Amino acid sequence: MVKKNVLPKKIGFSVLLFLLLAFVLIPYIMMISSSFKPASEQFLFPPKVLPQNPTLEHYKGVLNPDVFPFLNYFKNSMIVAFSVSAIGVFVAIFGSYSFARLEYKGRGTIQRMVLLVYMFGGILLVIPLFQIIAKLGLFNTRTSLIITYIVQTLPVSLYMLGNYFRTIPISIEEAAIIDGCSRLEVIFRIVLPLSAPAIVSVFIYAFMIAWNEYLFASVFINSEGLRTLPIGLSQLFYTQHYIWGRMMAASLLTAIPVIILFLSIERFITGGLTYGGVKG
Amino acid sequence: MKQKEARLGYWLVLPTLVLIVGLIFYPVIYNLWLSLHKVNMNPTKPNIFIGLSHYWNVVTDMDFWIALKTSIIFTVTTVVGTTLLGLGVALLLNKEFKGRSIVRGIILLPYVAPVISLVFGWKYLFHPVFGMVNYILVDLLHLLPQHINWVESPQFAIYTVILFNIWRNFPFAFLMILAELQSISSVLYEAAEIDGATGWQKFTYVTLPGLKYVMGALVILRTIWNFYKFDEIYLLSRSVVTVPVYVYEKAFSNFNFGEGAAITTILFILVMSFILYYVKKVLEW
Repeated sequence: MVKKNVLPKKIGFSVLLFLLLAFVLIPYIMMISSSFKPASEQFLFPPKVLPQNPTLEHYKGVLNPDVFPFLNYFKNSMIVAFSVSAIGVFVAIFGSYSFARLEYKGRGTIQRMVLLVYMFGGILLVIPLFQIIAKLGLFNTRTSLIITYIVQTLPVSLYMLGNYFRTIPISIEEAAIIDGCSRLEVIFRIVLPLSAPAIVSVFIYAFMIAWNEYLFASVFINSEGLRTLPIGLSQLFYTQHYIWGRMMAASLLTAIPVIILFLSIERFITGGLTYGGVKG
Repeated sequence: MKQKEARLGYWLVLPTLVLIVGLIFYPVIYNLWLSLHKVNMNPTKPNIFIGLSHYWNVVTDMDFWIALKTSIIFTVTTVVGTTLLGLGVALLLNKEFKGRSIVRGIILLPYVAPVISLVFGWKYLFHPVFGMVNYILVDLLHLLPQHINWVESPQFAIYTVILFNIWRNFPFAFLMILAELQSISSVLYEAAEIDGATGWQKFTYVTLPGLKYVMGALVILRTIWNFYKFDEIYLLSRSVVTVPVYVYEKAFSNFNFGEGAAITTILFILVMSFILYYVKKVLEW
């Protein structure tokens, strides 16, 4: 009696799985195919899934600095995202170790304050931060973006690292202290080497948030030379360079770095560290 | 020793504290102050105190109420959509099959790719003239009489924006629910089976109660995030004006920072009251 139900169930499952993957992947498939379509094929109707005469002209256009400053935007995004990750990881290591292992008055209150950051979306902060940034003379600098993004990534970074630190047996740390290590030596010689996967994940998480951010970047930066990728690409859409194939090529080249980084830490993120939530 | 440890604790948490107070708490209070002033377009020039008149301007402005209505429609539909789709997909994939980890990785793709890349793909897919969606719905299936401007028509763009948000954010709900599903003890299911429960009964009496807290948390988080959502909406369609889009245009296109600050303050109060009500009355925490 049980066996009779197996086949229809299997077929049903496969159909649902196929529909799900189609739903998720169709936009990507269309983007990839149209990035290889020559201009004449972009407006074909009915639309074709596969390019008839695939071409690399759009990728060449995107990567040619005379046509489109993609590489410059890429460089800006790289500098900002890398700085956010590098500085953010250090701030988070110290902060989360303090939360996880040291006892002092007010620790719980500070931890709750960090969680409260979740209650404030970017749109609530962009007006006052713009005024503050301008008053500090940081308008149109990368620094303005870097410090803003570090704060945006801190709650999750602190949470992920703190959880990981708590899994390290406290006896190892105590033994080191008895052997004469200071706390800071314990952090750098014992905790950090043992936490490498968590630290890499936090680094990549912060990188992705900084790489993808649009709102603050659109307000804090106004010179062409400092624009990050999301701003550069959205500007392009409203200029004469607006060619579908090239837009798709630029979009894919923007997405590829974060997708590769994400896939490299996917196992770690989905393996139980999801509870910090990933803001978005 | 204890005192030394405590002192180190403060030093280590200091950078975190400075950043959060300086770039979150101070700006939030400063925003309140700004909302009571006529803010000079030049940030180095002084501002003039005008009391509550920005708030009066906002609540008597029809456009604000229209934006609020759009925001509420957008938030309610996307919160329900992402949570239910996340639940469905988590239930579907909560079993061993070949290639499961690959499928899980693929499902998370919309959530991690930059919004700016994804919106161009969607604009292309939903293009009014040569887009795939119009072709399938109108020319192939004849479900609609004519091509629709899914991206920029004031009437239909909201559907595209809602669908885009669900598509992009359901993976997060999926991930959280799947983690919780895998922590429900199989003993409970076996006990239910011995008591003669059907599949549906097992779902309503074992699975759903086990998911109560994670679903409750998801609804709160997604409500907050989507009420404040800006980039996904603004970049995909200029025809869908939710409150955050309205604020952005007030502040950075019309340079009316004071009124923008007043609107975000109202927005914050609305979101906070919803959360308090929801936590107390619906979740009974």
